[in-house]
Amino acid sequence: MLWPTLNDPVHDSQRLFRQLLSAMSEPGTLHTLEVSSPPGDDIGPALWGVLLTLCDLDTRVWLAPGLDTPELCEALAFHTGCRLSDDPAEADFALVTPGVLAEPIAFALGSDEYPDRSTTLLVALDTLEPTGEWRLTGPGIALRRQLGLDAAAAPLMARLAANRESFPCGLDAILTCGARLAALPRSTRIEEVA
Amino acid sequence: MYVAVKGGERAIANAHRLLADRRRGNREQAELGVDQIQGQLRLAVDRVMAEASLYDPELAALAIKQASGDMIEAAFLLRAYRTTLPRLAVSEPLDTGAMRIERRISATYKDIPGGQVLGPTYDYTHRLLDFLLLAGGETPAVEASEPPLAPCPQILELLDAEGLIERERDDGSEPADITRDPPDYPVDRAARLQMLARGDEGYLLALGYSTQRGYGRNHPFAGEIRLGQVEVEIFVEEWGEAVCVGEIALSECQMINQFGGSREAAPQFTRGYGLAFGHNERKTLAMALVDRALRAEELGEEVQGPAQQAEFVLAHADNVEASGFVSHLKLPHYVDFQSELELLRRLRREHEARRQGACQEAGSPTSTTDERAAAPGDPA
Amino acid sequence: MNGYNFAYLDEQTKRMIRRALLKAVAIPGYQVPFGGREMPMPYGWGTGGMQLTASILGVDDVLKVIDQGADDTTNAVSIRAFFERVAGVETTTVTPAASVIQTRHRIPETPLEPGQILVFQVPIPEPLRFIEPSEQETRLMHALEEYGVMHVKLYEDIARHGHIATTYAYPVKVDGRYVMDPSPIPKFDNPKLDMSPALLLFGAGREKRLYAIPPYTHVESLDFEDHPFEIQRWDERCALCASDRSFLDEVITDDAGGRMFVCSDTDYCLTRRGELS
Repeated sequence: MLWPTLNDPVHDSQRLFRQLLSAMSEPGTLHTLEVSSPPGDDIGPALWGVLLTLCDLDTRVWLAPGLDTPELCEALAFHTGCRLSDDPAEADFALVTPGVLAEPIAFALGSDEYPDRSTTLLVALDTLEPTGEWRLTGPGIALRRQLGLDAAAAPLMARLAANRESFPCGLDAILTCGARLAALPRSTRIEEVA
Repeated sequence: MYVAVKGGERAIANAHRLLADRRRGNREQAELGVDQIQGQLRLAVDRVMAEASLYDPELAALAIKQASGDMIEAAFLLRAYRTTLPRLAVSEPLDTGAMRIERRISATYKDIPGGQVLGPTYDYTHRLLDFLLLAGGETPAVEASEPPLAPCPQILELLDAEGLIERERDDGSEPADITRDPPDYPVDRAARLQMLARGDEGYLLALGYSTQRGYGRNHPFAGEIRLGQVEVEIFVEEWGEAVCVGEIALSECQMINQFGGSREAAPQFTRGYGLAFGHNERKTLAMALVDRALRAEELGEEVQGPAQQAEFVLAHADNVEASGFVSHLKLPHYVDFQSELELLRRLRREHEARRQGACQEAGSPTSTTDERAAAPGDPA
Repeated sequence: MNGYNFAYLDEQTKRMIRRALLKAVAIPGYQVPFGGREMPMPYGWGTGGMQLTASILGVDDVLKVIDQGADDTTNAVSIRAFFERVAGVETTTVTPAASVIQTRHRIPETPLEPGQILVFQVPIPEPLRFIEPSEQETRLMHALEEYGVMHVKLYEDIARHGHIATTYAYPVKVDGRYVMDPSPIPKFDNPKLDMSPALLLFGAGREKRLYAIPPYTHVESLDFEDHPFEIQRWDERCALCASDRSFLDEVITDDAGGRMFVCSDTDYCLTRRGELS
C-alpha cells in the first residue's frame, strides 16, 4: 500500500502548520488533522501529516526501535527527503511511543544559549482525550486545561514534567492519536491529579 | 479640518511612474541597452555580482540599468532575485591554481614562474581625463598577443616548499552557508570569508586601510593577485565524476603577513585571503587585509583596531542590510516620536517647577541655563 | 503571481521558518535564530514580519497591515499590496475582521480576539543591545538570566529625570523568564501584551531572529516598587472621535503652533465616528 502525500503540498501544509501552531500556542487543545491514513497501525494520519508538514532535507529524524520499519524509512525519504539519524541527540524530530521514554534516551535538550536546538518528540498514543488525569497550566492556557492519556503514557509525562527543572532547555512534544493531535511545549507545567 | 492622509496607494504608483521616467531620461537620446552595460561597464557589473553573490553578468547589468546606476540598489535587486532561485547542485571547490590567467602579479618576487602579467589594469594609467572618449573616438583593437598562459602555480605554494609560510589546510568540516544560516558569533573563518566576499567594497576598503595606518597593523605584502577564468565543476553521482558546467571570472588575492610563531612552532609568514566574482581587485586586496586582521585572536595578537573585532566587522559589512536599515529612518515614526514628545514635555515642566521652587527658596535668581534632556534610546 | 510561489517564499524556506516558530512559541520570549532571506523590500522595512506572515498565511486568511496604527500609511499600503499580489488573500482594515494582522509600532486599540495572530515587525530584537552591543555577550546574559544591567539602566533614568526615560520598545519580562523587546510599540501598548487572547509573533529580518508570546501568557513591563510602570496619558481627547483612551498622534495644523490630537489607530477612530454619527 502506498504512503499518501498531501493533495496540495503548498496549501495543505499551510493549513496543517496553522493547526500545529495553534496546538503549540495553546497547549493541550485538541486538533483534528485532515490527512489520508498511512498504511499500518504504527502511525496515524495526524503524525504522518506532521512529518509531511515539517520535515525536509534540512531535518534529522530519529525513529524509536519498533517504529523504524523499512516502509516508514522509505516513505519518509521519498516524501520529505529528511535524513534519518541513529543518534537521538542530533535529531530535530524523534518518533516515539510513550513507553520508549521509560529509557533515559539522550535527546537534544538545547543549551542555555540556544535552547531551541532541541529535539521535538512526535508521539504516537493510543488515547488522547480532552479530560483526564493530567492538569496543564502555563503560557497559552488561560486558567488550566486537562488531558486524558492511558497508563502507558506515564513515562512520557514524567519526562515532560521534568522540563520545568531544565527550562529553558527541554523537550517539546506533539502528541498524536489517530487523526487527533495536541502539543505540550516545555513551557507547560504538568501535574497529575487524582 | 484635518482629514487623515488617504491615497497612499496612488502616491506610491505615481512615485514609481516618476522614477521610470527619470531613469529613461531624455527621450531624444538612445536608450542604454543592457548589453551595453554588460559589455562596457563591466567593472560595475562585477561589483554588483560580487555584492549580490550571484554570478550572472546579464542580470547584474539589468539591475544596474533598473537602479539608474545606484550600485547598492542594483546589488539589492540581484540579491532579492537570487533568494528565489532553487538550489540545483553544490559545486566542487574551485581550483584557482588552474585559472586561465588574464592578469597575475606578485609584489614579493621580481620574477616568478609563469611571469608577471599586467593584463587589463588601470594601475599605470595616468589619471588624465581622456577627451577622445568624450569626442566619441574609436578605440583601436588590441593586437593578437601570445597564446594564453598555461595555468601557473600559485606563488605561495612555491614559498611553502621551504615551510616559510603557514599552510592552509582543509580540515574537512562542512562550511557554513551564510545565505541559509544566521551567523552564530563567533563565526569560523569559512563563514567570515563568505561574509567578506559579499561585503561592501567601500567598507572593506576603509577597514583594510585602517589596518595599514596602525589600527591592527599586520605588515602585508601582496604575495599574488590573479584574475581570470575558472572552471566550475559539479560532481555527478550517476557518472561517478565531476563535470565542468561553465566558467566564471574571479579575482583572488593572497596576502603575506607578518610571521607568527610560538615556543612550539617556528616563526612563519601568515596569510590573508581575498576572493571575489569578476574583476574586483581592490575588493580582494581589502578583503585579504581584513581577513588577516580578523585572525588576530587565532594568532594570539592583541585586538586593538576596529578591523580586528570580528562581530563588529562582520555584522556591518553587508550593504543590502545596512542600506535598508539606514534608509528605514525615512519611514513614519509618528508614534515613537509622539511618545518621546510626551515625556520630554513632562520632564521640562517638572524641571521648570523645580527651578521655580529653588528660586523662591533662595529668593534670588538662578542660572537660566537649561539642562539638556538626554535623548533616550535610539529611535528604531 | 507568475514565477513566484504562493506568498512569495519557497516551501523549504517556509518550513524552516515554521519549525523556528514552533520553537519560539515553546520558549516564550526567547529569540530563535532563523535563516532570514532577502525579501523584495529593504531590510528595516518589515522583512522579518513579512517572512513570518508569508510563512503562516493561507488562502482563507484575511490580512490587515498597519504602520503607526494606521492602515493607510505608505509602508502599510505597500506591504498589503505585496500580499494581495503574491498570495491573493483578502485584506481588510477592520481589526475584528482580520485573522492575521501585520503591524509596525502599534497594537490595535480594539481588543484582539482568540484565534487572531498579530505579527510584529522588529528592527532590533535584542532588548540588551543598547547596553551591550555584542551578540555573544547578550546571548550569555540571556542564558544566565543576568538582567541586572537593564534595571541599572532604567534606574539611571530615574536618578537623572525622575522617570524611566524609555517611552517605546519598553522591555518586558515574559512568563517570568526572558527579558524581551516588544518592538518599538509605545509603552502605552505594553499592557495589551499581558494575557492577550491572540498569538503574538515577532520577526526581525535583518537580525535574523524571531520570537513569540503565546496567548494567555504573563508579560510584565520592567519597573521598580517605588517607580511602578505607567503608560502615556494625554490631557486632550481625539479631535475626531473624542476617545480619551486611545494613543494620540499630534498633528500640526498651521504655522502658528496650532495642533490637534487624533487617534493613531485609524480603524478604531473611524469605527467610533461611525458609531457616533
